[in-house]
Amino acid sequence: MKLDAPSGMPRSGVNPNHIVPVTNFSADTLRSIIAHMEVSTDFEHLVYREAELDAIWSITGFFLVSEPGSTQLEAVRRLHAGAHKAHDLVADRRPAEAAVVLRGFL
Amino acid sequence: MLSREENELLTQTDAGTPGGQYFRRFWLPALLPSEVPTPDCPPVRIRLLGEDLIAFRDTNGQVGLLEEACPHRRASLFWGRNEECGLRCVYHGWKFDVNGICMDIPNEPQEYRFESKVRTVAYPTREYGGLVWVYMGPPELQPELPKLEWARVPESHRYISKRLQETNYLQAIEGGIDSSHSNFLHASLDAFRLTDSYVEKVKNSDNLRAKYHLLDKAPWFTVKKTDYGLVIAVRRKAEEDRYYWRLTQFLVPSHTMIPHQSGHSIHGHCWVPRDDQTCWVWTMSWNPNAPLSENDWGMIRDETFVHAQVDPVTFRPVRNKDNNYLVDREQQRTSTMTGIHGFASQDQAIQESMSPIVDRTRERLGTSDTAIIAMRRLLLEEIRGLAQAHEPFAAHHGDIYWVRSASLLLKRDVEFEEGARDLMKAEV
Repeated sequence: MKLDAPSGMPRSGVNPNHIVPVTNFSADTLRSIIAHMEVSTDFEHLVYREAELDAIWSITGFFLVSEPGSTQLEAVRRLHAGAHKAHDLVADRRPAEAAVVLRGFL
Repeated sequence: MLSREENELLTQTDAGTPGGQYFRRFWLPALLPSEVPTPDCPPVRIRLLGEDLIAFRDTNGQVGLLEEACPHRRASLFWGRNEECGLRCVYHGWKFDVNGICMDIPNEPQEYRFESKVRTVAYPTREYGGLVWVYMGPPELQPELPKLEWARVPESHRYISKRLQETNYLQAIEGGIDSSHSNFLHASLDAFRLTDSYVEKVKNSDNLRAKYHLLDKAPWFTVKKTDYGLVIAVRRKAEEDRYYWRLTQFLVPSHTMIPHQSGHSIHGHCWVPRDDQTCWVWTMSWNPNAPLSENDWGMIRDETFVHAQVDPVTFRPVRNKDNNYLVDREQQRTSTMTGIHGFASQDQAIQESMSPIVDRTRERLGTSDTAIIAMRRLLLEEIRGLAQAHEPFAAHHGDIYWVRSASLLLKRDVEFEEGARDLMKAEV
């Protein structure tokens, strides 16, 4: 799959064997991860989805520490927790439920 | 990240823990044959999976591994006499053979002797591939020895070293399969900075790693689950129509193979839990087709690559955390990333700095950590599977270990599974 960096917007079909580049936690990035999640079935796919969610969790975690005065703080805090929840669902081989969790942030 | 429960499941290997049960389904490297070199030689202490054991070679040359504490009064059998096919406790004379069977209880009156009723904990051993292996699991589930290539080559074609690492085994494996760290931890400053002189030096090199590894510092990661574990494939840009692939092998429970280039010697590791806070690092270098070269022996002697000099009794590296791994800050300022000599010591220093058991609830991973995530998920699947009575497939299929790592150039439209299929098969 090819991606429009930095937005992360899919340009063509979704391939669950490819890792979505995660450089931010924009809606486009989340959409791309969700699209991949919805077609993920194999061990390898779920590993890639977990890596993407780890990256979202990491980036939001750093944001919470470095931008304590941000107006987005509460929303990012919820996304941070949501990424954690989605991560654990993927780890439990429940990607469809993880996608629902992430969809709540769009 | 992992949950606390997952981290404990993976890092705890004492008897009775799920991870401990899992490791006890495999043959594990236990000691070098040279530690018990001759029949009736002195016994040695070995700690494995949280158990204190004593190894000895009996009069017939067979290696025994017994619980260290004598079952009589719990005195250490390390002080025992190795004599006439058994190890005799010097406290009261009780004597045990390599199978743990009591041969003599001389301090009891003849009519009260109960040798036939006494056994001590003993684990079966095999000498294979330049190592003494041990199986510490249920006797009725004894597995096959893994047909690893390094274990099957002639002795002149391989070198094996053993060292103590003061961390849990898991973070040691993670270092072994983490492809992106070598661009930094093991790099010279010229390589890290990609100076003109460095690029000029490597541009015509026949060493693929030197030529391509550092020119693309943000490689593309993929993993492939196999019967024996994982192939971790890392793709970097090479010439316009080609990619440079590095294929690392992870084989359960804890073997790894560093990507190797055809025609060069191969290197790998096995990381065996000593207890939850420490592990044994077994490092193997081998050439399937010829005796190790003078260049190979030079790297071993000079400790420039994967082997490190150790104390001959404790196997603790000479460069260790008590002496800051003999870091040379001037060298770090002027020529290398760490100032620490040799890849093995660089890995050890950084992994030991992460605390004995990394708190994986607090880490911040990215997509370059895909291999680490995959290895953890695979081991968690295996450990949880065993807890639900699914025996590990690999333990009873030694043939599937007959693989190699690889590094190669492939046309951009060729997938690594296809392009490297033959290279990933072992030959010996």
